[in-house]
Amino acid sequence: MRYFIIALLCASAVHAHEFTPTYPKFDSSYVDNVVTTKMKLFNRRKEISYYEIGVFDNEWNPITFATENRIVNIEYLGTKSIDIYIKNSDLSRIGYICSVSKIIKGTVKSSGVKSKICSRVK
Amino acid sequence: MFKSILTLGAVVLMTTTAIAESTPIVGTVSSKCSIFTDTAGVYGNPTPDELSTLPADGGVLPIVRYDVSVADKYKAKISWPNSFSSAPSLSDSVTWDGETEVSSHSESGMSAYEDAKVEYDNVTEFDLTLAGSTWFKITSEAKYGVGKALPGGEYTANVTAECIAN
Repeated sequence: MRYFIIALLCASAVHAHEFTPTYPKFDSSYVDNVVTTKMKLFNRRKEISYYEIGVFDNEWNPITFATENRIVNIEYLGTKSIDIYIKNSDLSRIGYICSVSKIIKGTVKSSGVKSKICSRVK
Repeated sequence: MFKSILTLGAVVLMTTTAIAESTPIVGTVSSKCSIFTDTAGVYGNPTPDELSTLPADGGVLPIVRYDVSVADKYKAKISWPNSFSSAPSLSDSVTWDGETEVSSHSESGMSAYEDAKVEYDNVTEFDLTLAGSTWFKITSEAKYGVGKALPGGEYTANVTAECIAN
C-alpha cells in the first residue's frame, strides 16, 4: 500500500500548476497612484509552457492591470515571479488574480485539462 | 592540581558553548492549492454519432487531483467540455453531457464532498474544507445530430479545473 501511494505521488508529481500567495497584499510602487504585488507561478505541467495572467473584480469582470507579459512563458519545473501593477483607485474593486494554463493546439489529443488557480484579494 | 582545574574549566566552557549554539528551525505552512492532471482523458467512439470518455465506451476518464495545504481556503470548480477546441468541420449540432465526481481522497472526511457538491450548467463546485488531496474524475459525452455519423478526424475538448481562493 505504501509503495502504491509513493508510486502514485511520483507519477502525478509531474503535472501540477501552482500560483501563490493565496491572499496577496498590495504595496505602493515607484509610480505615483499605482500599487503593486508579487505573485509566484510554478509550472510542473510538462505539456504546458504558457500561462495567462488575469485580474478580476468580485463579479469576475476584468480589471485593467499592467505586468511584464500577460502570457507568461515558463519552462517545465520553472518558477516565475510576476509583478502586477494596478491603479490605486481600482484597489478596492479587485477580487481575484488568476493564472490559466494555455494549451497549444495540437499538443493535446482527445481531452485536455485547462487549469486555473485564483488568489483572493481581500 | 592546577592542570586538572584548567581541564575541567575547559570542558565546562565547551559544554556551555554547545548549549548556546542551538539553532532554531522555523517553518510556516501557508495556504496553497495545486492542480495535478493525473490522467489525460481519451474519447472512445462507441457508436458512429457519439464520443465518450466512459471506459465502457472505449474511453479513458480524465482525472484531476487537487492538493490543498490548509483547510477551508479554496473551492474547486470543474467544468466538463461543452464545445470542441478542435474538430473536423461539422454541419450539425452537438449535444454535450457530462459529470464530475470525487473518485478518491486522502482524508476520510472528504467523502462528504460528493454529497455537498453544487452543479449548474456544465460546472460542478466542491468546497475544499479539509487539507489534503482529492481526485476528481470527469465524464464527457458528445452526441452528433440525429442519426448522423461524426466526420472522420481528430476531436479535442478541454476540461477546465479551477481552484478559487475563498
